[in-house]
Amino acid sequence: MLRAMGRDKASLDRMTFDNLTGSLLLLLLLVSDLLLCKSVASLPICPSGAVNCQVSLRELFDRAVILSHYIHNLSSEMFNEFDKRYAQGRGFVTKAINSCHTSSLSTPEDKEQAQQIHHEDLLNLILRVLRSWNDPLYHLVSEVRGMQEAPEAILSKAIEIEEQNRRLLEGMEKIVGQVQPRIKENEVYSVWSGLPSLQMADEDSRLFAFYNLLHCLRRDSHKIDNYLKLLKCRIVYDSNC
Amino acid sequence: MSPPGKPEIIKCRSPEKETFTCWWKPGADGGLPTSYTLTYHKEGETLTHECPDYKTGGPNSCYFNKKHTSIWTIYIITINATNQMGSCSSDPRYVDVTYIVEPDPPVNLTLELKQPEDKKPYLWMRWFPPTLVDVRSGWLTLQYEIRLKPEKSAEWEIHFAGQQTQFKILSLYPGQKYLVQVRCKPDHGFWSEWSPESSIQIPNDFTMKDSTVWIFVAVLSAVFCLIMVWAVALKGYSMVSCILPPVPGPKIKGFDTHLLEKGKSEELLSALGCQEFPPTSDCEDLLVEFLEVDDSEDQQLMPAHSKEHPGQGMKPTHLDPDSDSGRGSCDSPSLLSEKCEEPRANPSTFQTPEGIEKPENPPKNVTHTWDPQSTSLEGKIPYFHVDGSKSSTWPLPQPPNQHNFRSSYHNIADICQLATGAAGASATLLDKTDKHAFKSSKTIETGAEGKAAEQREVESFPSKTDQDRAWLPPQEKTPFLSVKALDYVEIHKVNKDGALSLLPKQKENSDQTEKPSTPETSKEYAKVSQVTDNNILVLTQDPRAPNLALFEEQAKEAPPSLPQNQAQIDLASFTAPPGNCRLQLGGLDYLDPAGFMHSFQ
Repeated sequence: MLRAMGRDKASLDRMTFDNLTGSLLLLLLLVSDLLLCKSVASLPICPSGAVNCQVSLRELFDRAVILSHYIHNLSSEMFNEFDKRYAQGRGFVTKAINSCHTSSLSTPEDKEQAQQIHHEDLLNLILRVLRSWNDPLYHLVSEVRGMQEAPEAILSKAIEIEEQNRRLLEGMEKIVGQVQPRIKENEVYSVWSGLPSLQMADEDSRLFAFYNLLHCLRRDSHKIDNYLKLLKCRIVYDSNC
Repeated sequence: MSPPGKPEIIKCRSPEKETFTCWWKPGADGGLPTSYTLTYHKEGETLTHECPDYKTGGPNSCYFNKKHTSIWTIYIITINATNQMGSCSSDPRYVDVTYIVEPDPPVNLTLELKQPEDKKPYLWMRWFPPTLVDVRSGWLTLQYEIRLKPEKSAEWEIHFAGQQTQFKILSLYPGQKYLVQVRCKPDHGFWSEWSPESSIQIPNDFTMKDSTVWIFVAVLSAVFCLIMVWAVALKGYSMVSCILPPVPGPKIKGFDTHLLEKGKSEELLSALGCQEFPPTSDCEDLLVEFLEVDDSEDQQLMPAHSKEHPGQGMKPTHLDPDSDSGRGSCDSPSLLSEKCEEPRANPSTFQTPEGIEKPENPPKNVTHTWDPQSTSLEGKIPYFHVDGSKSSTWPLPQPPNQHNFRSSYHNIADICQLATGAAGASATLLDKTDKHAFKSSKTIETGAEGKAAEQREVESFPSKTDQDRAWLPPQEKTPFLSVKALDYVEIHKVNKDGALSLLPKQKENSDQTEKPSTPETSKEYAKVSQVTDNNILVLTQDPRAPNLALFEEQAKEAPPSLPQNQAQIDLASFTAPPGNCRLQLGGLDYLDPAGFMHSFQ
């Protein structure tokens, strides 16, 4: 349509008509798509259609689920230990409200929403969340190390989570490559800017920054685990786990 | 009448992560009817809501249905108690539905006894996940646990079942009634309550076939073990020796070490296989023929090459591969020569320093003290390296003949040697001894002193143990041989000990052998003391001279004490003079020139 900008009026009229037709067609296409897309499961998962694709997808998902489950367990333990050791009586829980850097990512908030999202979108969402945690995890490890009387239990878990997160990201990229190879998404993720908070001189503020980070990590790891299990049952077992 | 007390939220729980319920405990009501309200607001929102459902969860509860439930969101919940007098609010409670999931117990637990034909019978149980939980879509993943016990028992037997919804129990007591329960847990939540009990009665004939078999096997093995233990106890030693036979000590067949200790060398040597020394028939021949001294360079005493005495009581060990075959003992320079191969009996053959070395520590023994350090050396005729002594007639290591005859020859030769120069011979031997071995001998060489020394030593010699004595012969032979190949040996006498005493005839030999002059003159040859029945030629040394080796093979009479002039030589051993003829001396390493020297003295 933009090309018509520099033409004469007659051509403009023609263009307008063409534009209308085009938009109508587009509309029709969208509507039909919406109707067809009612059941997301009906979309082909493996574009190539090869048997190997299905089998390896199952293995990839199984492995991814194991990793995500493990990461959430570690995060949960880490949070509980930090809470028990540093956060008692400080009322951090009242302040850790709506303070996660990944809240800008529009993630589904219940089962219905999660089931309505297209698996490709859900996969991409998972990738985004995972990528958003690369940087915070890295700094978490270094800052926990620098903590006074660095708690070994927390530090070791942080290190483990960072490594497993990286592995999960690789696995997810493989899955995405198999499920939707044609779409190459730009790497979108939420930027984390909480590093200065972790390095604050005030101990209370610094501890709260850690608490908040661990709280958000626990939540996001649970989200990823849940989404992956949903996707696995949906894609690999055809919603019949 | 007072305002209500502060209520308190007891518990919030979600059975399927899609809804949740909170319960509170009211505080004191202050005597007035009090109403309670629950208000909340969600994370990221400012709006405050009130509980949508006070009924479903029972009294003092608030039920949040699916519409009002958001996962991964914090709810800040507060209870407000209000009465006529006032109101009171509870502390806010921060609730995230994600972490309060506790499902209902599994449902429809069924039990069944299965007894397949060729397999063991078992109890098969099956259940279903709680109705509310959505497992199919993967929203929740459940793990199960079952427990069972006989009705009367107090302890439950718990089994983890993973994500499966069935389970098999194999070990059951027949005739008992069993109670079974099951519970479940979501992937990141709390365990549910135990399901209601299901019971099943195990029939009495619930087979224990396997147990019977195993009991039988166990009894059999126990009996077997008992038998083994009993057998071992009774015959432990023999069994052990059967399994682990004792390592045999080195033995020479027919050789009795006790005899050795007693000094019964004759028997010993006979046991060693020396037979018939000298061979009866040939004995005379030997005596006759081999007593001829050959002036030739070869210094072969014996022309009697033909006289090969095959296997005259030669010990295999004595075989020397001397190419001088047929040579008599007297003339076989090779006897003592190192070069066994050489047909010539050169005095040079004597020199086998190496040969001398063969006997262990010959130098030691030879030197200084004739001390019986090395028993082997004692009484052994030292191989002397008679430098240039033509009469390398030391039939030492290499009898001209190989093998057996050698011994006999050697003996003769030894006799010759002995005869030629007993004293001198010894001295010569000493002289001639290789530097290695006989350096010490030089000390003795010095003439009279030497002789005296020898005498002394000779005297001391007999004091040597019998054992030494027994081994004398081998070494003794050498000295004899080394005396002079060209010496005639005159049979001087045979003493009571059966020693063959030979008289050396020539003095030149002694010269050649560098024997001290004195010894030369005084040397005496061994005398054949006797020839025993078993063809033992017993040579005795001339009393004047230092001891002569005595040939004796299978000496019946162990020479208990060697008279000064006597030495008994074992023919067999003689043939294998230690070391000189390295070649095939075999087991005569013990023959030490030093020993020979001893004998001479």
